[in-house]
Amino acid sequence: MTIKHCDYSQHYRPRMAFTKKIEALVLEMQDPDTGIKTQTQRLVITTIPHAMTGHDILEWIINRLQILDEEAQNIGNLVVQYGYIYPLQEPKNLILRPDGSLYRFQTPYFWPTQQWPAEETDYAIYLAKKNIRKKGVLEDYEKENYNILNIRLNHKWDFVIMQAKEQYRAGKERKKADRVVFEFQERAYWLVHRPPPGAPNVIDYGLDRFSDPNENQVTQKKTFDVYRREIIFNQHSMMKSRVKSSVSLGGIVKYCEQYFNHDPIMTGCLPSNPWLTDDTQFWDLNAPLSEVPTKLRVERWTFSFRELLSDPRGRQDFQLFLRKEFSGENLAFWEACEDLKYGDQSKVKEKAEEVYKTFLAPGARRWINIDGKTMDITVKGLKHPHRYVLDAAQSHIYMLMKKDSYGRYMKSPIFKETLNKAILPEPTKISESKFPFNKRHRRSSPSPVILRQLEQEARAKAAATGPVDITQLCKFTSPIPHLTVYTGFCEPTSPTGTALCDFPPPSPGLMTLPNSTACPSPICVAIESTPASERKFEPSSISTRFLSIAESTEMSVSSDSSTAVVKETKQPSHKSLVALSFSRFLKRGCSNSPIFATLSPKCPAVNSGKVQPMNGEPQHQPQHNHHHHHQGQQKTKKTNNFFQIKVDIPSECRIYPIDSGDEEEEDCPNSVKNNTVKEVICPWETITEEGKAG
Amino acid sequence: MGKEECKTLLDALNKVTACYRHLVVTVGGTSDSQHLREELKKTRKKAQELAVANRNKLTTLLRDKTASKEDIAEYERLWVIFSTCVEFLEVDMKKTLEIGQEFPLNVPKRYLIQSGMSGRTSAVAARAVSAQNMKYEADSNIDVTDLKELENEINQVGEMMMEMEMKVNVANWTVEAKQDPGAELKSTISVGASSVGMISVNDETKSACDPTKVLAGVIFCVFLFIAVILAVLVIKLS
Repeated sequence: MTIKHCDYSQHYRPRMAFTKKIEALVLEMQDPDTGIKTQTQRLVITTIPHAMTGHDILEWIINRLQILDEEAQNIGNLVVQYGYIYPLQEPKNLILRPDGSLYRFQTPYFWPTQQWPAEETDYAIYLAKKNIRKKGVLEDYEKENYNILNIRLNHKWDFVIMQAKEQYRAGKERKKADRVVFEFQERAYWLVHRPPPGAPNVIDYGLDRFSDPNENQVTQKKTFDVYRREIIFNQHSMMKSRVKSSVSLGGIVKYCEQYFNHDPIMTGCLPSNPWLTDDTQFWDLNAPLSEVPTKLRVERWTFSFRELLSDPRGRQDFQLFLRKEFSGENLAFWEACEDLKYGDQSKVKEKAEEVYKTFLAPGARRWINIDGKTMDITVKGLKHPHRYVLDAAQSHIYMLMKKDSYGRYMKSPIFKETLNKAILPEPTKISESKFPFNKRHRRSSPSPVILRQLEQEARAKAAATGPVDITQLCKFTSPIPHLTVYTGFCEPTSPTGTALCDFPPPSPGLMTLPNSTACPSPICVAIESTPASERKFEPSSISTRFLSIAESTEMSVSSDSSTAVVKETKQPSHKSLVALSFSRFLKRGCSNSPIFATLSPKCPAVNSGKVQPMNGEPQHQPQHNHHHHHQGQQKTKKTNNFFQIKVDIPSECRIYPIDSGDEEEEDCPNSVKNNTVKEVICPWETITEEGKAG
Repeated sequence: MGKEECKTLLDALNKVTACYRHLVVTVGGTSDSQHLREELKKTRKKAQELAVANRNKLTTLLRDKTASKEDIAEYERLWVIFSTCVEFLEVDMKKTLEIGQEFPLNVPKRYLIQSGMSGRTSAVAARAVSAQNMKYEADSNIDVTDLKELENEINQVGEMMMEMEMKVNVANWTVEAKQDPGAELKSTISVGASSVGMISVNDETKSACDPTKVLAGVIFCVFLFIAVILAVLVIKLS
C-alpha cells in the first residue's frame, strides 16, 4: 500500500483559495442564457460541440465582472493556466487569446483540487496510453519522464501497463467524438500538472502543511487545558499592537516616494544596467566597501540610521567619525552583538564572555555606557548565555547612537567630505558600431570563498593589531593574537591605505568627567583613570564616556600605521596589567574606594601600566606637567596626531611615585611575558582566580 | 491453479477499474445523466465484489507456506497490483463523491459543464459489468440517494485497505515488474466490441496475422484514404 498520509509529517496541501473562486466563475459561464455561446469545432471527420472563441470568453468576463480589458485578460489567462479552460488549437500555449482561437471547458474530474494532487501513477498510465495510441512517438520530455517513472514506480509497473491497456480498450467503447474529446482533456490536464520544460509550473504551491487545513477542529476534546490555552491566546492577541491600515499605507507611500529614485528598476541605475549593456561599472561602484561611494548611496545614509548601519561603507564612515568622537566602542559593541546573534551556535558562550570582558565588565577595556538597569539584566542573562542575551544592551546602545551620534555625524565634516567626494557616474555610452571588436575581456569576480578568506584574514589582522591602545603600554610585550575580532572592522579592503586601515577603529575613549555618574564600580573608576585626565586638557570634543585603559591608549594612538607595531607590543601588557591592578585592588580592599572615586579623573596615566588609584592630588600635577611636556615632544613627532602617542612607556613608568608600593609594577614587563591569564573575571565564573590573587 | 485464477480475477478487477475511470471522467459534464450515475453504481458494486474475491484468493495463496520462492514472489507481485488497483478505485470513488455533490442533476439552476462530451457511456459500463446491454432500473434521483451509499462504500473500501495493509506483510519495493518499459506497445490486441466474459491479457501473444485478413484490410484502407481525400477536397472547395 502506498503510504498516502502519515501523521506528524507535512503531507497536507495548503488551501488553494483560487479553486473555489474560479469554479464559481466557470459554473456561471455554463448558463445557456447568460453564459458563453458555444460553437462546434470541426475536425477532419468529427465535429465536437462546446467550443468557444477566446474573444467571447473575454467579453463575457468583462461584462460579468465589470472590469477593464487588461484585468479581464489577466483573469482569463489565469483560468486557462490552471486548466479550467483549455485551448484547442495551441494546446501548449496556455494563455487566453482575445481573437477567434477556440477553447473548451475542462471536465470537473480534471479540475485542480486541493485534496488530490496529480499522482505519479496516473501520469505513468497516461504516458503508457499515449505510447500505445501514438505507437511510441512521445515528446522528449515525456520520454524522459516515462523512463524516470519506470524506475521509480517499478514495483507498480505491471499495474500501470495493465491499466493503460484496459483504459485504452475501454475508451474504444465510446463514440469517436467523445474519444477525441477525452484525449484533449487528458492532454490538457497533464500539460498543466506536468508542464513541458520551459513552461511555468502554475500549480506549484510551495511547502506542504503539517495539519490538514480542511479538518474540523471540533473533534478536539475540550479539556481545561484547551480552554486555558485558548484564553491565553486570545489575551495575547488583544494585547498585540495593531496598526491602522491608513497609517501603514501612508508609511508604504512614504517609503515608495523616498526610495523611488534609488530603485534601479523604477528609475534606471546610473552607469547603466549591467545586464543590458554588459558594463559592470555599476557593480564595481556599488561594491560593499568601495572607497568612493556614489551620491545616491550617500544620500540613502541620510534617510535613517538603519540605512547607514546596514551599508558597510556607511558603517565604515560612521566608525571613523565615532573614533574621532571617542565613542567607537558603541559601534564595536553593536557589531559584537550582531556577531553573537548571527554567528555559530557553538561559539555563543565564548563570544558572550568576550563581549562581557571587553565591553561590559566593570573596568573593561572598552566599557560602554548603559544604564544600571540594563546592565543588571544583561549581567544576569549572561549567566546563561544565548544568542539574544545582549539584546537589551544592544538596543540601548543602538538608540544612543541613533539619537546622539547620528545627528552629529550628519553635521560632521567627515560626512560632508564623503558627500562631496561622492561621485555621480556617467551613463554608459552604447556604441552600436564595432560590436565584434568591442568584446570586453571579462574576468570572473573573485569567488565568494576567496573573498571570505580575505575578509577573515583582514579581521584576524585587525584583531592582532588589536585595540591598539593596549599595545602602547609596554613595548616589550608581544601582541596577543587572539584578541576578539569584533573590536571593529579594520577596513581591510580599503586599498587606499588611508589612515583608517590597519587599525581596528578603536573607540577613542571619552574622557570621563570627574564625577562620572556611570561609574559602576570603584575598581572600574580606578582602572579607567588616566588618559581621562590627560584628555581633559585636550581641545577635542569629548563626549562623556568612561574610558578604559585600552581606550586611553587607543586615544593616544594616532591613525598612523607606523605605530602599529608599537601597539602590538603593548597589547598583551594591558590585560595583565589590568589583572594586576585588579588583584591589587582586591588586596587593598574596599577602603580605598572613596579615594578611587575621587581620584578618577585625576588618576595618573594608566599608560604606565599601573593602576594608580592611590595617587592623590600631588601626583596629578607632576603627571600632567610631564604629560604636557610629553605632548610637546609628541607633537613634533607626528603632525597628524590629535592625541599623543605614549611611546616611551618605560620612562613614564618611573615617573610616578606611586610605583613605590607596587612591587608587581616592576614586574610589568616580565609578568607580561608570562602572559598571565589574570584577566577580567566574569561574575559568573568561579572566584578561584580572585582567590589566587587575593 | 491458484495463480491462473488469481490472474483472471485481477484482470477483471483491472478492467472494471479502467471502465470506472472512464465513467467518472464524464461526471459533471454534459454527457452526465441519471443513467451515468446508475452505471457508476453498478460498476462500483461489481468492482467491490471482485475486490473482495481477489483479496480472499490472494490472502489464502500468500498464507500458503508450502509455496516455492518464485511462487511467493509471483503472489507478492499480484498482491501489489491488487492493492494499487484498489487504491486507484478508492480515489476514483472519492472523486465521484465530490463531483457528484458538486453537480446534482435535478437542481434547476445548476448547469453541467459543457465539456464537449455528448455520447453515452453505456457501452463502457456494459463492458465493466460484462453484460451485453445495460439495464436501467433506478429511480430518477439516484444522483442524490446514491451519494450516501457511496460514502459508506468508500468507508468500506478504506477499511478493507487498512486491514489488508495490517494483515498482509508484503514489501512493495521488493517487487520487480515483469514487463519492460514499452511493453504496452507489444501487444496491441484490439478487442473491439467484445465485452463478453473476462478477457485474459497475455503479453506475449501478438495479434493474429492472417494474410488474407491483412490484404483485405490494406485494400479497404486504400479505398478509405481515397474517400477521405475526396471529402477533404469537397470541403475545401465548398
